[in-house]
Amino acid sequence: MLHLATEAAAHPTVSEGVLWAILAAPFVGWALIVLYVRKLPLVAGWLAAAAVGVACVLSYVVLFNVIAKGGIAVHTHEWFRAGDLVVNFGVRIDGLTAVMLCVVTSVAFLVQVYSNGYMKGDPGIGRYFAHMCLFTTSMIGLVLADNLFMIFIFWELVGLCSYLLIGFWFHKPSAAAAAKKAFIVTRIGDLGLLAALLLIYTRNDGNFDVSAIQAWALNSGTPGYLVTLFALGIFAGAVGKSAQFPLQVWLPDAMEGPTPVSALIHAATMVAAGVYLMARFFPVLEASPDARHVVAWIGAATALIGATIALVQTDFKRVMAYSTVSQLGLMMLGLGALGYVAAIFHLLTHAFFKSLLFLSSGNVNHATNTFDMRLMGGLRKQMPITLVTCVIGSLSLAGVVPLAGFWSKDEILLDAWRDNRGLWVVASLVSAMTAFYMFRAIFLVFFGEYKGGQPVDHHDEDSHFHGDPAHPHEAPLVMWLPLVILAVPAIGAGIFALNHGFRNLIVDALPLEIADQIKSESSFKWGVAIASSAFAAGGILLAWAIYYKQWFSSRSIRMGFAPLTNLFENKWFFDRLYEDFFVKLVLQRGWNRLLELNDKYVVDGVVNGSARVASMASDRLRFIQSGQIQGYGLGIAAGVVAVVIAVYAANPL
Amino acid sequence: MTVGLEHFLVVGALLFCLGLAVALSKRNAIGVLMGIELMLNAVNLTLLSFSRFQDTPHKVAGQTFVVFVITVAAAEAAVALALAVSVYRNRQTVDVDQLNLLKS
Repeated sequence: MLHLATEAAAHPTVSEGVLWAILAAPFVGWALIVLYVRKLPLVAGWLAAAAVGVACVLSYVVLFNVIAKGGIAVHTHEWFRAGDLVVNFGVRIDGLTAVMLCVVTSVAFLVQVYSNGYMKGDPGIGRYFAHMCLFTTSMIGLVLADNLFMIFIFWELVGLCSYLLIGFWFHKPSAAAAAKKAFIVTRIGDLGLLAALLLIYTRNDGNFDVSAIQAWALNSGTPGYLVTLFALGIFAGAVGKSAQFPLQVWLPDAMEGPTPVSALIHAATMVAAGVYLMARFFPVLEASPDARHVVAWIGAATALIGATIALVQTDFKRVMAYSTVSQLGLMMLGLGALGYVAAIFHLLTHAFFKSLLFLSSGNVNHATNTFDMRLMGGLRKQMPITLVTCVIGSLSLAGVVPLAGFWSKDEILLDAWRDNRGLWVVASLVSAMTAFYMFRAIFLVFFGEYKGGQPVDHHDEDSHFHGDPAHPHEAPLVMWLPLVILAVPAIGAGIFALNHGFRNLIVDALPLEIADQIKSESSFKWGVAIASSAFAAGGILLAWAIYYKQWFSSRSIRMGFAPLTNLFENKWFFDRLYEDFFVKLVLQRGWNRLLELNDKYVVDGVVNGSARVASMASDRLRFIQSGQIQGYGLGIAAGVVAVVIAVYAANPL
Repeated sequence: MTVGLEHFLVVGALLFCLGLAVALSKRNAIGVLMGIELMLNAVNLTLLSFSRFQDTPHKVAGQTFVVFVITVAAAEAAVALALAVSVYRNRQTVDVDQLNLLKS
């Protein structure tokens, strides 16, 4: 066993076995469910919850150890060797890993518990929990990995699980299409990650270790354009996984999966993988200003696009989905503005309040059989717990003092302010819109008159809805308890930032010179904080005025901004662009047509042409087969004479 | 004029060509058979000439060969005439132009 302590002074002392156990627990859960208990829904569900629960408890053990000791520990083993290529399989534990582990396993655990209620009665429940376990495994592997090669492997596994879970109800054409879309769109980004991996293979002597790559990027001898290329490569991967512009289109469609899946994958963990990857290679961004500007502005564009589309959505879950796109954009913006701590902190708080919000939307769906906010309203009486948790999540997301979201968003805004005022303006605008659309959703869903939900279609065999949408009810204990638990960090996670505790924890994961630089910066500025609060309050008040008091009619506002609302409602025409231009025109009419013509005229031409030549030649040659022996004899004699003459001509006597 | 090997060979070649011409041009199957016999005998003549004039260690080899050829030719003639009779019984003709069953 190779044991490396990058910082000689202090490193986490937690034993390697614990780290491997965190990875193994959900994997074992997956294997057991797939092999033995797929047909037993109750056993599968609670086995999955228990497996992830074990990983969760161990993650906290690791976290407290890292808090106590600080530093970095790497345990690595050689996995295989092929020529010059040496691939290791190892775990790296530092502040960033510990935080991500806790976020992933905590949210995954609560979602597994919740799923036991939400998925009850679904015929595919064993498959569901198996996929969820495998997903948690891959996410943990991605976080623990100590080299880029391993990250890539788990990265792809995460993509696979996401495909399986989005397409969980694969008999629904829309779900199958969404799954394919998610897989293909993220794969476009993964190509960039693969390119970055190959770049490291060829330019860094095949040393994929995270520390080695960070050192490579910070080394002044490394050509700057290579660092930029590498940064853009991994950013391309992150753009795919974290649904950044221009690959953001898959995430809202991914809402076709079961709601707990949306909460786990598309709010809390998988989409955070991209942000995590960028944070993991933060020194690369630090070393390449070009790359980090690209990251920041792509993030800003994503945040703006996501927020504006969320303003006009009528589907509760899609509001959350676009909100996630927008918040991920903010995190990328933060990373691009060198806000390493801010981005990870926002990732942490966002994981809690966004999964809380998604699970709340699941509860609403459980009661009303729909996600369409136009069919809801007035649910505050029937669903008080969900209302409270949902409001807490929204307040936190909107960034209201003193909830968790305020502190993390404030740090991003501060970093944006320091880096570039343009970024700050975009981020502030996005915050105001965030507050507005969240409270628009809350007023539409929980206040006013109940509009009856979606009647149950008893002929629809896929629907396993129990209860009566006309008389909505609060969700059962397994479904509201996780919400209450998630509400605690959604309120209080800001406390981690106290006294720079969180910052000191995660900057230890960085090389020393960068860590020292980050530690020297202040993380709070009254002006920025007051401005962001004002934006949030403005957004909430506007939503209250329009959707609760109805002082202004939302319809007339919509008419007033007709071109803009049209743009937003059509998702900035990105889907149309990809579908109509790239898929239909470039691929189907262009490339596929080209292939078709090639097939028709070149491939078929060769086959048919050779047949035609043979047929024509034999037509011409038929007459010599007369059946007359004497004719054949004459032919033979003439042949002999010809041969004799030829021989004599070639060798005169 | 001394009669040498060349004269025998020229006669043999002429006989062979005559036989070939007969075999390829006669319509009557019996005529074709006669042409073939002529070709065989032309070959026999050539073999005998070589045997007589060439200085080979086994003088008798060419003559042995000719005896074999005559034997086989007799057998062949017997079989071929039987075939011709059989063809005539089936088709009421021995005109080889009409015997084009090999044409598919």
